[in-house]
Order: sequence, then structure tokens, then C-alpha cells
Amino acid sequence: MIAQTGQMPVPEPTLPERPESLMRAAWRRFRRNPLAMGGLVVFVIFAILAILAPWIAPYNPASIDLFNSDAPPSWQHLLGTDDSGRDIFTRILYGSRVSMLVGVLVAIGSVLIGCIVGAVAGYFGGWLDTVLMRIIDVMLSLPALFINILVLAIFGASFYLMILILVLTSWMGVARLVRGEFLQLREMQYVEAAKAAGASSVRIMFNHLLRNATAPIIVNATLMVGGAILTESALSFLGLGVQPPQTSWGQMLNNAQEYMLTNPMLAVYPGVCIFLVVLSVNFIGDGIRDALDPRQKAHIPKRRIAQWRDRFLKSST
Amino acid sequence: MSAYILRRVLQSVLVLFLVTIATFLLIHAAPGGPTSIFLAPGLSPQAQYIQAHNLGLDRPLPIQYLDWLWRMLHGDFGSTFKNGIPVGSLVWPTLLNTIILMGIAWVVTLLIAIPWGIYNSTREYGISDTVATVISYAGFALPAFWLGLMLQQIFAMRLGWLPLSDMWSRGQEGNLADLARHLVLPVVTLVIGFLAGYVKYSRSSMLEVLGQDYIRTARAKGVPESKVIFRHALRNALIPIITILGLDLPIVVAGAALTETVFNWPGMGRLFVSEATAREYNVLMAITVITAIVVVAGNLIADLLYAVVDPRVRLGEKEGETT
Repeated sequence: MIAQTGQMPVPEPTLPERPESLMRAAWRRFRRNPLAMGGLVVFVIFAILAILAPWIAPYNPASIDLFNSDAPPSWQHLLGTDDSGRDIFTRILYGSRVSMLVGVLVAIGSVLIGCIVGAVAGYFGGWLDTVLMRIIDVMLSLPALFINILVLAIFGASFYLMILILVLTSWMGVARLVRGEFLQLREMQYVEAAKAAGASSVRIMFNHLLRNATAPIIVNATLMVGGAILTESALSFLGLGVQPPQTSWGQMLNNAQEYMLTNPMLAVYPGVCIFLVVLSVNFIGDGIRDALDPRQKAHIPKRRIAQWRDRFLKSST
Repeated sequence: MSAYILRRVLQSVLVLFLVTIATFLLIHAAPGGPTSIFLAPGLSPQAQYIQAHNLGLDRPLPIQYLDWLWRMLHGDFGSTFKNGIPVGSLVWPTLLNTIILMGIAWVVTLLIAIPWGIYNSTREYGISDTVATVISYAGFALPAFWLGLMLQQIFAMRLGWLPLSDMWSRGQEGNLADLARHLVLPVVTLVIGFLAGYVKYSRSSMLEVLGQDYIRTARAKGVPESKVIFRHALRNALIPIITILGLDLPIVVAGAALTETVFNWPGMGRLFVSEATAREYNVLMAITVITAIVVVAGNLIADLLYAVVDPRVRLGEKEGETT
């Protein structure tokens, strides 16, 4: 029947000339996704503001001006000032550096660890796989937020320790994902061919197999950025993350809670910023997933074919 | 089936055992560790030695661990450093408070999310579906504690409709109407956070089932649509939903540290946060282990339920390769 054509196996391309690369095809599809592009634009704006903060910011984020506290928004202070007369706009700008840096570094770190552990477990299998998987089980059974709080409380809150502990409590997802991909991929014939050609295990794992698992890893990493930003804000809110005089959005919220009655807007700005950045990252992540996921392609034509078939059946009867 | 259950139970016990080791090592790796906290400052080295000896802190680490584990198995979590209060009497009441808050939030979420997800699966990309998508994007991106702060600002401070924080008003302990009023804001905060995942999940689970051939068969033989949805599709769609519920069970116990802190709810999460800064190691270890037990039990229940409803799981014995 006609419906069958949509599900017919696509023959392997015979490479007459250089085919469109995966990344280029994905970018083409990504560009057509308004939500994803909107997310990208917002994210890039925040990233530029974060990088250029020392040059854009009109004031010193930590300079206190008690004569000018809780000032309403004005041209001197775009978003007003907080309880100690610090310029809120400046603090938001500097806070964005922390949030962006935490998000990106945690995602990179977790992907690195997750890839190595997942690759080793999936490729070698056997007792090594069992041991690594049990370790992951244990890590997943420990409540991550509690462990973060515990470590930062015991060892003292610091920016780099926070990144380290966030990485150490969030690599398990990537590891499981990579292991799953490797379990499927390691039986492929090109792996056998590579082995026969004398490629080392490390080369096969990271040059051949990992490259074929890129798409889900990228999606996972993007979504992890948002999670890390949220966790950072939570930890800083509890007073366990970034310490004054440094500032971050979460820490501004911690400060704002005390002044809820006198200056409620203090809590609004950092929260909206966290929301916007995390939302944009999630849009980007979903956009990348849709752009890279071949199943999505099959989805739309199938619906369209169903429509055609309906029309065809109606016209013939 | 019994072999499968036995294997999963043994596995869970092993994981829990490793969790206790990890927790214990983490605490004892701290600079100074519990030793420095236990010992009164300003003591002479001799006096310190005697005190450490009396507290059993000069014994080898494995012995200390086994001792701790043994006591814990008998329900003795030790006592706090500061006041010598038994940790159990501190932790158990807060666990109950957390379960009250989270349990209600969870049930409310499910009552909204599952019917809504089912409805959306029958009207894909409709208005209701779009609203759910918007809510789920917002729910994933909003810091829950910030949402709590905003709700407090609006409904407690500006409008004065609901109490700002705490579990009971003063002198009203035990009054359920008072409890209900205190529950509203934290529950709404939690529900908005939870709703995102569950609506999405029950929708996609239903959609997957609705695409199956047997649904087409049912429709083809003239089964009314309502019967197709509720008899044929829903029963099968609920299987993965039940699994997710088991996996999310730990959230009921551990997930609310921040919401509890914002609303000053006397739960286990808030206790953990406040005792972490006070470095009450016995309390911290107890809460970590209790949470881990719930996590592992949740996973186990989810797996067993899945095996009950889907025979393929227990027949395809080899684990991990089912993916």
C-alpha cells in the first residue's frame, strides 16, 4: 500500500560526492525552529553580557552606598539599588558570569567523565562493566542535592569546589547513555574492521564509537547546562555557593529574601534572569534534539502520508 | 519470578551497603572530620586523647564504620554533638512532616497530570496541549524556591490571604484547617514544578500506545472511541507511568529541601540544610542513609511492579541488554 512507502528502509547512500555532514544538516533544521533560534539569541545575548560585564557595568558590584539604598529604577541605576545601595543592574551582569560559567563548566566536566566511564564500561563489558554500573547505582541512590550541600558545608563553600561537586554528582546520566550506545555499536562491522586493521582499543572507543554517539551526548550536555544553573542558584540561595563579595543570581535571591517586605523587586530580577537563561538553554537543547533525531524526520512524513491517504481514499470512493 | 525478585532484592541490599560506606567515608574525609567537632576546643593534647578515646574516635576507621552500621541497624543513629539529643527523635518527626507536604503535593500533581495528559494525547497539538507544553517549559526552567518566594510575596504579603510560612500558627498545633491553610502555598509551588514532567510523560505514554496496531484493530472493529481510550489504551499506557511513579518516590522524601527552607516547613530537607551548616554529622549521615533507603526501595518497587505487569522483563533475564 501507499502507506508502506513511508517506512521503506532507506538504502545506504553510495557517496557519489561528499554528502551533507551531520552537523550541517542539523544546523539547517535547527535554523528553521523558531523556539530554538529564539533560545540561541537570548543565550548569546546573556553570554556576551557576561563576558563584557567588567566593561559594560556602570558600577562596582560590591561597592556599598548606604545613602542611596533601595533606590527605585532611574537613569543612574537602571534597576535601582539594593538594601546596601549596590547597583542591581551591575550585580545582575556580574551574576550572569557565575551562572553561565557554572552551567558550561559543569556540562563539559560531566560529559568528559561520563564519556570515559560509559565508554570503558560499554566497550570492555564483563566485570568492569558490572563494577562501574554498581558505582553508578550507588551514586544515583545518594540524594544529589544533599551530597552537594554536605560537601560544601563540610569543606567550605567555594566556587571551584562547587563546580567539582556538581560535576561529580551529574556525570552518571551521560555515562549510562554512552554505555548503552556502545553496547549496540561495538558489535558493528566497522569495529571488527578497525580491530582487524590493528587499531587500539582507545582509538576504537574514542575515534570510531564515540563519534557515532555524538548526537545524544550533545543533547544531554545542553540540557545539563540548565540543570547546573538551577542547582548553582539553589546552593547559592542556601548560602553554600558563591560567597560575597562575589555575586551570583542565587546569592542575590538569598539576600533578597531578607528584604521581601521593603524591596520585593530585589527578588524579581535575578529570578527572571535565571528563568530566561535556563529556558533558552532548554529550547536550544530541544532544538538540537529535534535537529539530530532521525526519528523526528519519519514522524512528520508519516502524518502527511496519512493525510494524503485519507484524501486519496475519499476521492476514489 | 521469585528468582528475579531475590536477585533484585540482593542487588538493592548491596547498593545500600555501598551507600553507607560512601556516606561514612565522605563524612570522615572532611578536614578534621567528626573528631575535631566532637572534641572541645582548647583542650590539652592529653585531654583530647582521653576524650577521643572515650568517644571511640581513636579506633581504626573500619571498626568505627561497623559500629555505626551495627547501631543504625538497631535504629540508633547516635546523638547530636551540641545537645546530645538522640538523632532519631530529631529526624523521624521531620520525616513525617515532609511526607505530609510532599505526599499531598504528589497526589495533587497526579490527579491533575494523568487525566490532563490523557486528554492531550487525544487532541494532539490542541489548545490544552499547547498550554501544557508552555507550563512544562516554565516548570523546568523556574527555580522552585524562587517561585515560592514570589507566591509568598503575592499571596501572603500583598494580599494577606494565606500564611507566609511554617506548618502551624502559634497555638494551633493539631488544627487541620490551620494546617491546610499553611499547606496551600508550598503545595502549589511543588505542584507547578512536578506537573511539567508528569503531563508530558502520561501524554507521550498514551500516544505511544495509541499508535499501536491493536488500537487500530479495536477501532476497525467498531469499538467506541471512549472504550478504545479507557479500556484498550489507558491500561497499557499506565504501565510505564507506574514505573515512573516508583522511580520518583524518593522525591517525596528528599526533593523538597529548598521549598521547605523557603516556607520554613519543619521537614527533613530543611533539617538537613540547617544541620549541614552546624556540621551535625550524625544527623547528616542519618538523613543521607534514610533518603538512600527510600531511593533504592523506590527503584526496587518500580522494577518489581514492571516485572509483574510485563512478563518480558523477567523472562529476558539478562539485565542491561534489554535496551
